[in-house]
Amino acid sequence: MCSRSIVFPLHLIVGCLISCTAFSQSKVKFGKITPEDFKPTSFEKDTSAHAVVIADVGSSEYEVDRDDLNLVFRQYRRIRIIDKNAYDEATIRVGLYHVGSAEEKLQNVKAVAYNLVDGKVVETKMDSKSIFNDKASKTVNIKKFTIPDVKEGTIVEYSYSVSSPWQYQLRGWNFQDEYPVLLSEYRVEIPEFYDFVFLKQDVNGLLKHKADIDRKTFNLTYESSPTAAAEHYSLSANTVKNVWWAENVPAVREESYTTSLSNHTTRIEFQIAALKFPNSPVKPMISSWEKFSEELYKHEDFGVDLSKNNAYLGDVVDGLVAGLKEDTAKARRIYNYVRMNFTCTDHDGLYLSKPLKTVFTSHNGNETDINLLLIAMLRRAKLKADPLILSTRDHGVTNEMYPLAARFNYTVATLTVDTLSYFLDASLPYLGFGRLSSSCYNGHARLLLEGTTPAPVYLNPDDLLEQKTTYVMVMGGEGGSLKGSYQQVPTYFESCSMRAGIKDKGKDNYFKGHEKDFGAETVISGVEVEDLNDNEVPIKVKYDFEIKPDEAGMLYINPLFKEATLKNPFLSETRFYPVEMSYVIDETYTLNLTIPEGYTVEELPKSSVVKLNESDGFFQYLIQANETAIQFRSRIKLSRAVFAPDEYTELRRFYDMIVKKQSEQIVLKRKS
Amino acid sequence: MFSFLTKKYAYAVCYCVCVLLSIGPAFAGDPIYPAMLIPDSLKKHAHAVTRKEEITVKINDPGDVRVTKHYVVTILDAEGEKFARFVDSYDKLKEIRSVKGTLYDALGLPVKKLKQSDIQDLSGAGADLMSDDRIKHHLFFHNLYPHTVEYEVEIRYNHSFYLPEWQPQSEESKAVEQSKLTVITPKDYVLRYKTLNYKGEPVQGNDGSDRSYTWEVKNLPAVPDEPLSPHWDTRATAVLLAPASFEMAQYKGTMNTWEEFGKFTYVLNQGRDVLPDNMKQTVHQLTDGLTREQKITKLYEYLQQHTRYISVQLGIGGWQTFDATYVASKGYGDCKALSNYMCAMLKEAGVKASCVLVYAGEDRSDVTLADFPSQRFNHMIVCAPGEKDTTWLECTNSTVAMGYMGEFTGNRAVLIIDEKGGQLVRTPAYSMEQNVQIRNVVAKVEESGEMTVKVNSRYSALQTDGLHGALNSLTKEKLMEGLKQVGFFPSYEVKSYDWKETKSVLPYIDEQIEITARNYATITGKRMFIEPNLMNKTSRRLSVDSVRIADIYLSHSYRDIDTVTITIPEGYTPEAIPPATALQSPFGVYSSKVTIAGNVITYTRSIDHKGGTYPASSYGELAKFYNSMYKADRSRIVLVKK
Repeated sequence: MCSRSIVFPLHLIVGCLISCTAFSQSKVKFGKITPEDFKPTSFEKDTSAHAVVIADVGSSEYEVDRDDLNLVFRQYRRIRIIDKNAYDEATIRVGLYHVGSAEEKLQNVKAVAYNLVDGKVVETKMDSKSIFNDKASKTVNIKKFTIPDVKEGTIVEYSYSVSSPWQYQLRGWNFQDEYPVLLSEYRVEIPEFYDFVFLKQDVNGLLKHKADIDRKTFNLTYESSPTAAAEHYSLSANTVKNVWWAENVPAVREESYTTSLSNHTTRIEFQIAALKFPNSPVKPMISSWEKFSEELYKHEDFGVDLSKNNAYLGDVVDGLVAGLKEDTAKARRIYNYVRMNFTCTDHDGLYLSKPLKTVFTSHNGNETDINLLLIAMLRRAKLKADPLILSTRDHGVTNEMYPLAARFNYTVATLTVDTLSYFLDASLPYLGFGRLSSSCYNGHARLLLEGTTPAPVYLNPDDLLEQKTTYVMVMGGEGGSLKGSYQQVPTYFESCSMRAGIKDKGKDNYFKGHEKDFGAETVISGVEVEDLNDNEVPIKVKYDFEIKPDEAGMLYINPLFKEATLKNPFLSETRFYPVEMSYVIDETYTLNLTIPEGYTVEELPKSSVVKLNESDGFFQYLIQANETAIQFRSRIKLSRAVFAPDEYTELRRFYDMIVKKQSEQIVLKRKS
Repeated sequence: MFSFLTKKYAYAVCYCVCVLLSIGPAFAGDPIYPAMLIPDSLKKHAHAVTRKEEITVKINDPGDVRVTKHYVVTILDAEGEKFARFVDSYDKLKEIRSVKGTLYDALGLPVKKLKQSDIQDLSGAGADLMSDDRIKHHLFFHNLYPHTVEYEVEIRYNHSFYLPEWQPQSEESKAVEQSKLTVITPKDYVLRYKTLNYKGEPVQGNDGSDRSYTWEVKNLPAVPDEPLSPHWDTRATAVLLAPASFEMAQYKGTMNTWEEFGKFTYVLNQGRDVLPDNMKQTVHQLTDGLTREQKITKLYEYLQQHTRYISVQLGIGGWQTFDATYVASKGYGDCKALSNYMCAMLKEAGVKASCVLVYAGEDRSDVTLADFPSQRFNHMIVCAPGEKDTTWLECTNSTVAMGYMGEFTGNRAVLIIDEKGGQLVRTPAYSMEQNVQIRNVVAKVEESGEMTVKVNSRYSALQTDGLHGALNSLTKEKLMEGLKQVGFFPSYEVKSYDWKETKSVLPYIDEQIEITARNYATITGKRMFIEPNLMNKTSRRLSVDSVRIADIYLSHSYRDIDTVTITIPEGYTPEAIPPATALQSPFGVYSSKVTIAGNVITYTRSIDHKGGTYPASSYGELAKFYNSMYKADRSRIVLVKK
C-alpha cells in the first residue's frame, strides 16, 4: 500500500507533530481564562439555559502508529455551568470500542474547573488517577471522569484524544447540543488516498466550511522480526484540511410528533468512498446500489445463508405447507409459524446476530435474524421472498443517493406473488400478514433483489391510512336513562393495542374500563369482539350500554358520547420542526338516536363543515332531527401525515374547531 | 433444540437424549414439571408459578457464606417473562460461582440448556460514576407459553455483614407451589432472623457440628393487583436473616442491638471527619459569633453551594465513607461523604451533629424494623439535635429547604450514629393541616366561550415536593411547556407563570398562573355549559367488582381548599345548578358548592384527606367516597340566554 522511501530524519517528525498541534485554530485556548470570561456572554438567545457551551472544538486526523495509520479524534470543550441542573456536564463519559487486540485508546485527558473567587480565577485540576474504566459490554469500555470543584457559575474545560485503528470510521460531529453553543467547530484533515463523502445536515443555515490544501508525510516503521533491523517507509500525500463551524447555535428542542431529533439537528457525517493509494488502482469503498446489494447478499452477517440450500429447514417447511396450493396460503402459514414461535430480542440492527441455523434452533434473535429466517423458509417453500432494508422512524432517514449501511437498522421480508407484493415482519407478534408497524414508515427503503438492481421502496406515512368507524344507536330507557348499542371498527394499530389489552385483562374487564369515558354513570354489557385472533384485520367491537340520567328535567347529550376529541393534541403555540404523524387518519362516527318517550328536542348543535386548507383535510359535523329521531354524523379526515412548521397554526386551529364542535350538546326537554 | 420437531417425534428424541446423556432435570429421580400439573388455584391471578425452590445458606464462618439457589418456575404468559430471567449482582464482597439453567416446554420436556456464553456480564454502575457492582443476566427468550425454566446458582459471600433474604413470592402475580429456605450454621453460631407473615417457627436440626433452620411454604396463590394496597413487602411471606457477630474485610462487629450496629458503623468511619486546615478557617470565618441555628443555616447553605452528588462505590465503600478532605478538595461525594463532611463542618463550628442511616424512598417508610437490627439502609442524612428542636439535613440535595424531610426520608425510623453507638429515632412527619394547597381562581368567560383565568396557589410541606423538584430543575420555558401538557382545558395557552419558594423548615411555594382557554364553556345555541371546578378535579375512580383482599393504604394526609369565581357574559340565567355536595367518611371530608349571583358564579371546594391504613372491609366506603368526589368534581352548570 505504501511506497518505499528514505529513512526519515527525526526533526521532520517533530515538525509534523508541531503542525498537528497548531492545527486547531479556534480563538478559545485551553487554560486561557480571565475574569472577563465569567461575565455573561452576548449570547442571549436562550437565557434560561442551565449551561452555555462556550466552545466545542473537535478534530480528526491520521497519525502514524508504528506500521500503520491511526485515526486520532480530539475534542476540547469549554462550558459555563449556569446552575445546578447542568452539573452533569462536568462528568464525561467516553465510549471506547475494542475487538481482539484492536482497540480505541483514550489519551491526553486534561480537565480543569475555574471559579471566580474574590475577582480572581482559581483553577482546580482533575487528578488523572480519577479516570475510571467501566466495562459496559464485551466490546465497549466506558471511561468516566468528573471534574472537581464545580459550583454554579463554574467554567469547566476538558480535552482528550481517542486514537482508533479503524481508519475508515471517521467520526461525525453534532454542532447542536442540549445547551446553546457559542462556537462549534470540527476540523478534519484527509489525506488524498482516502476519499470521503460528506453528509451534511444544516438545519438552521449556520454551518460554514473552509478547505485548505496541505502536504503531509507519514513515516511508518516495520519490524519483520524482533531481531531484524526496523525498516522505514514514508508516504507523502496532499491533504485537505476541512473546517466546519457554526456560531451561536440554539439548543436542540424536543417536540411531540417528530420522528427523530437527529433529522432536525445540524450535524455532519462521513462515509468512506474510495481508497486511492499511489501505484495502486482506485478501490471504491462506496458502491452503487447494485454492488451494495450484491455485497450484502454475500455478507456473512446478512445474506450468505439465504442462497444456501438450508436443508435443515426442509422438514418444518414441508410440514407447514403440506396440502396447501396457493402461494399466499403457504406464505401465510410460514409467516404465522415464525411470528408465533420466535422471540425477538432486539428491534434495532441491520445484521444477523448469529448464523441463521442458530436462529432457527435457538428460536430467538433480533428482527433481522427472524425476518431473514422467514425469507429462507419462504424460499425453501419455493416462494419469491427478498429482504427489504429500512431505517425506523427513531433512527433517522436513509440516504437515497448513497448506499450507506449505517443508515439502515431494520430488515423485513417482501413476498412477491405474481404482481403483488406483501411486506412481512415476523418479529412483532401482534402484527399480521402483510402489515408493518408504523415505525417502519420512514420514507426511502431498499428492496434487495438477488442478481438485479435493488429497487427503492417508499414507505410514506402519507400512504398509511388508519380508518376508524363507529356506529351508535340510542333509545330511551326507563326513568330518563339512555340505552344504546355501540359498534366500532377501530384503526388497525388501535386494534393491535386493544388485542393486547383484552388479552391481559379479559374482554369484559377491558371494556369495563371504558365505562368512565362516557362521563355520566354508565354500565356496559354484552361485549362481543370479532376477529380477535386475526391479526391481519382490525377487530370489530360491539356492546350495549346504559347511561343513568344526570340531571332531572333536561337531558344534555353529547352526540359523540365517549368518542369526542376532548383535547387539542397540538399543545404548543409555536412549532420549530415539521409535524410528522405516523399515519393519515380518517375517523367516521354515526349516531341514530330515538328521542325518548316524553321528551322533545329543545336545542341541537349546528351542522358544520370545516376544511383544512384547500385539500389537506376536512371535518364534518352534520346533525338533523325530526319528531322521533336525531341523526348525526361526524368525520375527521386528514389527507397527509406530515405538515411543515408554517402550516402548524392552521392545523392547530383545525383541531380547536373539532374540539369545540365535538363538545356541543343536544338538549332534550321533558314534555310538560 | 427440539421444539421445531413435531410433538410426537420430539418426545421420542427427548426421551432418548434424557436417558442417554442425562441432560434432563437436575434433581435426579424427580419428575420434570409439566405445566398441566399446576392446580387451577395457583393459576388464578398468576403470570408465573414457582414449582419448586430450594435456597440453602451455609455459614461456614463469619468470612465465608455459601448460598445455593435452585428453582423451577413455570411462566404462564408473556407478562410473566420477568420471572423467567436470571439476574444477580456481584462485587468484591459477593461472587457468583456458577449458574446452570434448563428450559422446558409445556410438557416439561427439556428444550435447551443454558450456555455460559449466553450469560451477559453487565456494568452495575448505573447512575454511579463508578462502582464494583456488576450484573449477570440470562434469559432463554422463549415465547411459547407456558414454559418452565430451571436455574441452579452458587454464590459465595466473603463476609457475613448481610445475609440473603427469602421472599418466595417476589411479586403478587407469582404463585408458589413450594419453596424452602435452609440455613446451616456452625453449632456455636448465633443466627438472628425475623419472619414476616410466616406462621410458626423454623424446623431446627442438629447434625454433628452443624445446626440447621428450615422454613417452608406450600401453595401460596397469586394475589390480585388491587389499588391503594400496602407495599407488597409488608404483606408477603419473608424471612430476614442477620448475624449476631460478623466480619467484613478487616472489620469485625456485632449487631444484636441497634446500639451495637451503630457502634460498628461509627468505628468504620471514625477519624474520617477531619477537615483540612483551610476548611477549618472557612468554617470559623462563616460561623464565629453566630447562634447555633444561624451556624447550621450558614454551613448548610455552604454545603449546598459548594458540593454536588457524585457516587463512587468501591470495595466496602458502600459502608465506609470518603473522608472530609476528599470532599473538601473535590467538591463532591455520595450521601455518606457529604453527610460526614457536613458533620465535620458543624463539629468545627461547635454544633453537635451525627450521621444518620435511613431507608429512603417514597412509600418505603416502614422498611426499618425496630425489633430487628440489621443493615437494611440505603441512604445517609444528618441530624443536629438541639435543646428545643432537632434539625434534619439532607446533604445530597442542593435545593431543598434546611430541616425539611419530604417523602423521601420523612416519617420513618432512622438510626443516629455517634460515639455512644446507634439510637433509633423517627424523622419528622407532616400533618394534614401542614400539607395544604390553597387555590384561588378568578376567571372570566366571553360570549365566544373563551375564558381568561388567573390562578393563585399556595402549597406547603409535602404538597411542595413535586413542584419543588420541577421549579429547581426546569427552565421557565420548560415549566410553561409542562403546564400545557397537563391538559387543564381542551385547548389553552399559558400566558404567564411566576412563583416564589420560601425555604423554611415548613417550606411553601406561592404560584401565579395566567391562562387563556378557548372553548372552555361549551356553547350550543342559546345554552352555555360550564364545569365550575376549573383546576382541581380528582382523577381517581375505584371500581368495586370483586371482594377486596388487601388492606387499604392511603399514603397522604392533605388538605385542599379551592375558591373559584367565574364571571359570565350578561343575560344568562341558570337552568341547572349542581347541588352542593358534602361527604363524610373515615378517609376524610369533602364539600363543594356552587352559588350564582348576577353574572358571577362562585364555586368552593375543600377536601381533608386522611392518610393511614384501613381494613379491607372499608373498601366499599372508600370507593363511594372517591367516586362521589369524582362525580361532584365534574358536575356542570347549564345556563340559558334569555
